[in-house]
Amino acid sequence: MGNIMSTSFAPECADLKHTYDKCFNHWYSEKFLKGLSMENECSKQWYAYTTCVQAALVKQGIKPALDEARKEAPFENGGEPEKVE
Amino acid sequence: MKLFNNVSEFEYPWEQLSAANWRKYPNEASTHVKAVDVLRRELDPSGRRLISERLITCEQSVPKWISMLIGGCNVSYVREVSVVDLDTKTLTLRSCNLTCANILKVFETVKYSPHPRDSKKTLFEQEAKITAYAGISKLCNKIEEWSVNRFHENALKGKRGFDTVLETLSERWNISESLVDDIGSSLVDKINETVEDFKAVTEDLPKGTRHESSFLSGNYSEIRKAFTKSS
Repeated sequence: MGNIMSTSFAPECADLKHTYDKCFNHWYSEKFLKGLSMENECSKQWYAYTTCVQAALVKQGIKPALDEARKEAPFENGGEPEKVE
Repeated sequence: MKLFNNVSEFEYPWEQLSAANWRKYPNEASTHVKAVDVLRRELDPSGRRLISERLITCEQSVPKWISMLIGGCNVSYVREVSVVDLDTKTLTLRSCNLTCANILKVFETVKYSPHPRDSKKTLFEQEAKITAYAGISKLCNKIEEWSVNRFHENALKGKRGFDTVLETLSERWNISESLVDDIGSSLVDKINETVEDFKAVTEDLPKGTRHESSFLSGNYSEIRKAFTKSS
């Protein structure tokens, strides 16, 4: 804690998250929104952050529920749930 | 299942609002949202469509009888998938609770788009589907009713919260067009009041909601389901 930006559910990933967020927010308003970017430019920061997060998801036991939700509302679908009867 | 719809507007242009969306939860000041993590993020080859998957970590605040039922977990998680589309100028967020999803599922869809008659404003549309899965239909209804009440309680609070964030970001937006990591402590003070409730499990919808289905019809469908299952 002690940061203005939101932290990570995994304390060990918080610093990596802040570094990534900072890069992303800048990219988002300065490049993406202006239609100036063909790629997400924060890949280096992203890789470090996501590696940490993926491990923490498993460690904290969140992964199974997450996988279930992903099946139900796929990312590729923009998070729209598949029709269930 | 109960369905809720809500439409409202923000006094800020869509671009600004979509940028503010990524920094809606400076958690230090918020009481419910503890953390926000990006799990996956992909940019369309065109460079004009951005999809993000986020994990929102909340402190659970449910009635005692529900937490007893659930088993006393005090942290809950929400998964959110959002799509920013520069061509249609829409930001769509779809979220669902991961925690206790076998008992109660809240599926929320929020869409931000430029106001059709005033480009300086943003239109906000919201829909939430609440489904309780407990075996007894009476209990289902009770849980659903409780959820409805929570929506109401936090309604105005959430809208006001995001408005204050936008207000602060707006000042800076006008100065430098840059929304970089420079919101300063004034934002924290303002957010202190509210933002936490903007989105999460049942306690997080920005504005008033209304019933789309009657309690009775909800009842019937639960009863029918129960009978179908047992036969």
